[in-house]
Amino acid sequence: MSLAAVMPPQVGQKPDPGMRPVISFHGVSKTYPNGTEAIRDVDLAIYQGDFCFVVGASGSGKTTLVRLLIREEVASTGRIFVDGQETTRMTRRRLPRLRRKFGIVFQDYKLLPKLTVAQNVAFALQVTKPGQRHLKEKVEETLWIVGLEDKLDTFPDELSGGEQQRVAIARALVHRPRIFLADEPTGNLDPDTSWGIVQLLLQINHRGTTVLMATHNREIVDLCRRRVIAIDSGRVVRDETEGGYLREGEATI
Amino acid sequence: MRGLLASVRFALVAAGQNFTRNLAVSLAGVFTMGLIMLLVGGTLLLTHTVDAILAQQETQADEIHIYLQDQLSMRTVADYELRFSHDSRVNGVAFTSKDQAVVAAQQRGLSLQPAINTLGTNPLPASIDLHVRTLGALGQLNTEAGTLPIVDNNSGHATDYSPGVIPRLQSVITVTVWVGSVLSVVLAVISLVIIMNTIRTAVYIRRTEIEIMKLVGAGDWFVRWPFILEGVFGGVLAAAIGATAVAVAYRFVLSQANTQAFLGVSFDGRYLTAMVVLLLAFGAVLGGFGSFLGVRRFLHA
Repeated sequence: MSLAAVMPPQVGQKPDPGMRPVISFHGVSKTYPNGTEAIRDVDLAIYQGDFCFVVGASGSGKTTLVRLLIREEVASTGRIFVDGQETTRMTRRRLPRLRRKFGIVFQDYKLLPKLTVAQNVAFALQVTKPGQRHLKEKVEETLWIVGLEDKLDTFPDELSGGEQQRVAIARALVHRPRIFLADEPTGNLDPDTSWGIVQLLLQINHRGTTVLMATHNREIVDLCRRRVIAIDSGRVVRDETEGGYLREGEATI
Repeated sequence: MRGLLASVRFALVAAGQNFTRNLAVSLAGVFTMGLIMLLVGGTLLLTHTVDAILAQQETQADEIHIYLQDQLSMRTVADYELRFSHDSRVNGVAFTSKDQAVVAAQQRGLSLQPAINTLGTNPLPASIDLHVRTLGALGQLNTEAGTLPIVDNNSGHATDYSPGVIPRLQSVITVTVWVGSVLSVVLAVISLVIIMNTIRTAVYIRRTEIEIMKLVGAGDWFVRWPFILEGVFGGVLAAAIGATAVAVAYRFVLSQANTQAFLGVSFDGRYLTAMVVLLLAFGAVLGGFGSFLGVRRFLHA
């Protein structure tokens, strides 16, 4: 039985006023070479143990925000801090160390089709921590957490979309990251499977990991009642501690 | 130390897996590279062989016969032989008597007996035969021979020097060496371009893998090494294929050339070994460098 099944999701602790944020954006903007302003003057602070939804329509800037965090993109102006380190001025040499603080999942899973489930998960540990002791046990334990302990030798093509996303989550989780980034993780999944994935992310958050999930899945955001950062045309237009997908009383069709 | 060994092991295993998992693309790359290696190796050997043939011709052409008057005393001839043997331009001196000249002519297929019978005497002159150190000395010795009192000037030729042959031979050698060198360089450049593109295709297929490695926090060199090792392995394999084909062809062509065309060029095992080693090193460097450039684009993407 998986942990997700035995431990119900809980709302994260509110941060102490004097607590240092694990992620912070200070006046960050990102303009692409073609002139598109993806992010405009964003100020944010995310604390250890937070569970944040980053919501907004397609093209609003959610993915750029995630890519800026892991330095896949470089901010045009402003400063970004992760775990106390400024990433905007970080050299290429130091990027791997920054990225090891994150566990990242995407809408398209990004699994290696010719590796088994266990090999896909082990791959992350082999890359980040070569020579890791008890590799097999760690992989099995992580797959147990995501409820795939019986799929070790299965190939990704033989799994459902939800199961593939669970493998991607296990791979992102296996090296015990401080921050978990999920960019539209339920984008390709049906509502029931999506809810299962979100429960798993809530479970991960319950274990102390900061979770940042970019989504435009209104139902999930409304059900969870967690912190919501709404982005519109690259600007943060709303930041609520326990919000819904839309502002209270905001109409939609 | 444990981490380093694990990284090396990971790179080696990943390189092997990369190669076998994308066998079709890998083999396409290896055979393309092998073909180039075959051309490079073939050009090197062809140049070397032509060079050897020409060098042999040059060796045969380094001789000049100074025709002597009849009735010279052996002492006079010996004096001149001694004089020439002290000449720094001369490598060897020999004397050919009139009778020996007839035998040599007969060996070349010329029958002089009717002429001897008609004339009642041997018409061929005796000669002092000089082997020169450099072909450039032949002209000088020919001019000097014309002024010697021992020379038979009645025939109009003091020596058998034929000034047109040597420069032509030298120009053929020069052209051959140049063409071979230029062809090798052109082939090397073409091969680098083809190999880079082949490896880029192979790397493109594995871009997701590279992306994942980067995202989970792998360093640039950790990402690069499996691809570089794969490139080195592919390059060595290609070079081995090319070198084997060249070696087999070299033996075959040489035996045919010697039996059919009587070229008399011997099998140069040392050159062949050096060429194989050179090709293997060239393949390794080219494969590794091509992979480095191929991965670089995706790492910096």
